[in-house]
Amino acid sequence: MPRRDVEDDDLEPEEDDEDYGEDQEQVLEEELEEEEEEDEGRGSSRRKRRRSDFIDDVAEEDDEEEEEDDEDDYGGGSRKRRNKRPSGSQFFDLEAEVDSDDEEEDDDGEDDFIVEGGGEVPEEDDGRRMHRRPLLPREDEQEDVEALERRIQARYARSSHAEYDEETTDVDQQALLPSVRDPKLWMVKCAINHEREAAACLMQKYIDKGSELQIRSVVALDHLKNYIYVEADREAHVREACKGLRNIYTQSIKLVPIREMTDVLSVESKTIDLARDTWVRMKIGTYKGDLAKVVNVDNLRQRVTVKLIPRIDLQALANKLDGREVVKKKAFVPPPRFMNVDEARELHIRVERRRDQMSGDYFENIGGMLFKDGFLYKNVSMKSVSSLNINPTFDELEKFRKPGENGDGDMGSLSTLFANRKKGHFMKGDAVIVIKGDLKNLKGWVEKVEEENVHIRPEMKGLPKTLAVNEKELCKYFEPGNHVKVVSGAQEGATGMVVKVEQHVLIILSDTTKEHIRVFADDVVESSEVTSGITRIGDYELHDLVLLDNNSFGVIIRVESEAFQVLKGVTDRPEVSLVRLREIKCKLDKKISVQDRLKNTVCVKDVVRIVEGPCKGKLGPVEHIYRGVLFVNDRHHLEHAGFICAKSHSCVVVGGSRANGDRNGDSPRFSHLRTPPRIPQSPKRFPRGGPPIDSGGRHRGGRGHDNMAGALVKISQGHFKGYKGRVKEVKGQTVRIELESQMRVVTVDRKCISDNFSSSTPYRETPRYGMGSETPMHPSRTPLHPYMTPMRDAGATPIHDGMRTPMRDRAWNPYAPMSPPRDNWEDGNPASWGTSPQYQPGSPPSRPYEAPTPGSGWASTPGGNYSEAGTPRDSSSGYANAPSPYLPSTPGGQPMTPNSASYLPGTPGGQPMTPGTGGLDVMSPVIGDNEGPWFIPDILVNVRRSGDEAIVGVVREVLADGSCRVALGSSGNGEIITALTNEMEVVVPRKSDRIKIMGSTLRGATGKLIGVDGTDGIVKVDDTFDVKILDLANLAKLAQP
Amino acid sequence: MFFHIVLERNMQLHPRHFGRNLRENLVSKLMKDVEGTCSGRHGFVVAITGIENIGKGLIRDGTGFVTFPVKYQCVVFRPFKGEILEAVVTMVNKMGFFAEAGPVQIFVSNHLIPDDMEFQSGDMPNYTTSDGSVKIQKDSEVRLKIIGTRVDATEIFCIGTIKDDFLGVINDPATA
Repeated sequence: MPRRDVEDDDLEPEEDDEDYGEDQEQVLEEELEEEEEEDEGRGSSRRKRRRSDFIDDVAEEDDEEEEEDDEDDYGGGSRKRRNKRPSGSQFFDLEAEVDSDDEEEDDDGEDDFIVEGGGEVPEEDDGRRMHRRPLLPREDEQEDVEALERRIQARYARSSHAEYDEETTDVDQQALLPSVRDPKLWMVKCAINHEREAAACLMQKYIDKGSELQIRSVVALDHLKNYIYVEADREAHVREACKGLRNIYTQSIKLVPIREMTDVLSVESKTIDLARDTWVRMKIGTYKGDLAKVVNVDNLRQRVTVKLIPRIDLQALANKLDGREVVKKKAFVPPPRFMNVDEARELHIRVERRRDQMSGDYFENIGGMLFKDGFLYKNVSMKSVSSLNINPTFDELEKFRKPGENGDGDMGSLSTLFANRKKGHFMKGDAVIVIKGDLKNLKGWVEKVEEENVHIRPEMKGLPKTLAVNEKELCKYFEPGNHVKVVSGAQEGATGMVVKVEQHVLIILSDTTKEHIRVFADDVVESSEVTSGITRIGDYELHDLVLLDNNSFGVIIRVESEAFQVLKGVTDRPEVSLVRLREIKCKLDKKISVQDRLKNTVCVKDVVRIVEGPCKGKLGPVEHIYRGVLFVNDRHHLEHAGFICAKSHSCVVVGGSRANGDRNGDSPRFSHLRTPPRIPQSPKRFPRGGPPIDSGGRHRGGRGHDNMAGALVKISQGHFKGYKGRVKEVKGQTVRIELESQMRVVTVDRKCISDNFSSSTPYRETPRYGMGSETPMHPSRTPLHPYMTPMRDAGATPIHDGMRTPMRDRAWNPYAPMSPPRDNWEDGNPASWGTSPQYQPGSPPSRPYEAPTPGSGWASTPGGNYSEAGTPRDSSSGYANAPSPYLPSTPGGQPMTPNSASYLPGTPGGQPMTPGTGGLDVMSPVIGDNEGPWFIPDILVNVRRSGDEAIVGVVREVLADGSCRVALGSSGNGEIITALTNEMEVVVPRKSDRIKIMGSTLRGATGKLIGVDGTDGIVKVDDTFDVKILDLANLAKLAQP
Repeated sequence: MFFHIVLERNMQLHPRHFGRNLRENLVSKLMKDVEGTCSGRHGFVVAITGIENIGKGLIRDGTGFVTFPVKYQCVVFRPFKGEILEAVVTMVNKMGFFAEAGPVQIFVSNHLIPDDMEFQSGDMPNYTTSDGSVKIQKDSEVRLKIIGTRVDATEIFCIGTIKDDFLGVINDPATA
């Protein structure tokens, strides 16, 4: 602290004289002296007394100096002497923050300046004064209060503090802040814990050397270790002064920015009165950091009695009391536990029951410690507790409420909590309740918020319109049923409905977890929003399926402040683990489908019922599918955010699959349901000769789940060829695209869009949805077969083409019997895959291309297949329609024809015929993909048996049930085991690996992976030397022979 | 509370439904579309009781669909704060129990269950009074008071209490 005393004041002008221009200061000094002269006699005695005050604190050596001081100051001693002593006293002040004289000096200085100096008040002085004031209360206590009072009265009868305080305005104070003209403050390093000593040394040096030292003051702050502050005009002065002092290190002298100078000397407001019932935290000792409640305050002795939960090791205590040797185990702090007197007695610890004289309460006295109701009552120094930023947590508060104490006690202690309130805590319209004072329990609404006071409109009639209430006396008020959002604290962000209000604590039923959360009323606001708190860390969001470090996977069911709760993909029992961000490898976003117990295909969003296992009977939509495990979300399931993990084989799809329908053959059921909407489409399809998508539009719309909307696409044909844009809407066969380059939305044919979606997911998705909703009656593979079939059956094609329903009807009926063979396919019999002529890459597909005109409709279908999702669905719908009794009503479909015609321009029917047909292969994996991995001999797989590490093996043989005989070892010369489908994972090939194709029409073919593009692999097929683009999921690394 | 109100909706009808049965088709589609849905303003549409008026259809370019503005009378169910309802308990857990009154799901927290009722776990979790005379378990019927509602796009969720006079179990499946 800079010189605080009048001595400084007196002296300062003189120093200033030396340092800068004399005029002003000189004047000031003269004035001062004049003033002093007036009552010189009194003045000198005053001085003396003041000195002695310092001496109380610091050292007796000052005595002489004082006398000299007096002489010097007023007797006109030599300048040198004068300088010397004052500076000595300066140091004392600085050091002694605890000094009692400040007030006197304040007054003194003030008298001088205000009365006489008026506008000339030196700026520094008042800056200092500001800081001094908070010290006043303490001084009173440290000195003999009465004596002090007497002295003050005697000396300063003419002025009073109150006056002073009132006179000082903010503006005045502002003007007193240090400016550039003033000496600077330097931060100097010194030996740790020798700060005071260093300051004293400097002082001594000043005394000895006098004016040689050109520093002004030295400050050692109690709370700042390792540094002292030196006030001087130049760094060199500081350096010079510190030279030769071993406690002070002059290597680093830092200038304190002018703005921070006041902060250096401001005293942290310690005046927070520790009232009864406030919450504090212990600063030191065994109970460091523990929450405690103040039960008694002794301001005189600066001590408080706090109530703590004891941390006492009874056994150790017993040993100690018995005089046995106590093994000191450091770093062991007994856990907090309520004292049980009986337990203590059992250990033969003497328990005395005594009455406290002060409070009249009975305490149990054990080894000098006082206990009551299990709590420890401890008398500690005020300094050893901190009352700032307590933020007691619920658990802590809960413990304190232990025996039979109801919330009432808490109310008083609320004041501590309120100290932590943010600004703008109350907002207009908030419902509040008064918790203190005469108006206690008055409810009302906030009308206006001022600095400290809140104007509320009371609920009760007969009261003034608004009442101003201190915000500390207010608490937010909620009623059960309010929907609130937590805005601070541990549960920040959660929303829910208030279930119960216990004083200032609310119990909220969280919207998402359907669990109770307890929060302070202060931490919540009313809100209609529904969230679960934070829902995202990094790239991962609540309810995402993620792959974890150890190759396990799971769904994020809760996002905590730094970690996720993940429901693992283990089916036998729900397993939740806490996972940190870095433990998550990636998000799994694959749209795959699996088969349920009845071999129906299950896709995401399908509603399934779990028919086995611990969660039997649960029902809900599938949220994620991975490795044959379904994550089902049951609204009524309360644990794990409603997620249930189940094997796909223990579930059944309920109703129609939303996304997918049922491709596996119980077509009749669905065809009846679905047929009507289908029929009209047929005419459209044929005339156009392109892949018909139409029905998709409507269904899509109905579903509200178009995966294409929003996708970034490029227009590959037509007027807007080459433009890029974002899909706004998909309407039947047309797509509305917002062009990137032009500010407009255009409508183009779906086919004209090249599928450069950012990822290949849409690819996979599209057919899934397409087939799903539109092709419920046909197994997934139908499209493939039928395509081929009609082609082979040349006769049939022309009939279809441009044909009307009746004929088609006939034409298609023959294929209905196709289903049984198809079922074989579903069974995953690889043999049939391989042998089926339809799938031989070479021959049959070539057929359609050979038969251009009539076949074009058909030939293009496969083309459509890849370019658009819808084809399979449509062609199959055709089949479905065929047997349908509704067919005769087809004329209803007529109106559609113009519709489809409208597509024609944009649909150069030839497109699918172009070399692009190679793309057929691109599409085929999609279908394969839907079926999950189809293992095939000679590929490398990772076999994972529960709990074991994954082992590489080579599939030797695929058994009828889908499981495989696998030879372990990368070259397949290890043990041969039988592994189930879900225990195996295909080894993903890398670039230039030899691969085997598992899906698509090329199934079984081998080749070389010559490149990878996203999820697509570029494959050079061995047999044909063709280069094909296939989904990586359909490629497996070929085992090296 | 149930209300019988008139609502309006624009129905899109596929051209194949045109003809003699257009009106019937329209109505059946309306029923399919609307019944069972929930809106924050009106609550759940329970049933359509009649058609007030079908406006002129407008043919949509490009699709051939026709949009009809349809005014229909329907019964809606909307729970209100403070309303007393009778509901069937669907699930009981330690935090309270869920009950359903028609389409509305209501949660009664254990804080809102009379203090003398304690949770008993087991394969049939329930809340029972200390003397065992009253028991709330799955399929019990309770009378409760709604103290808060939360309206989502697709459902209305309520919080109820049975901690009040004349509320509680009205029919116990075990004794019935």
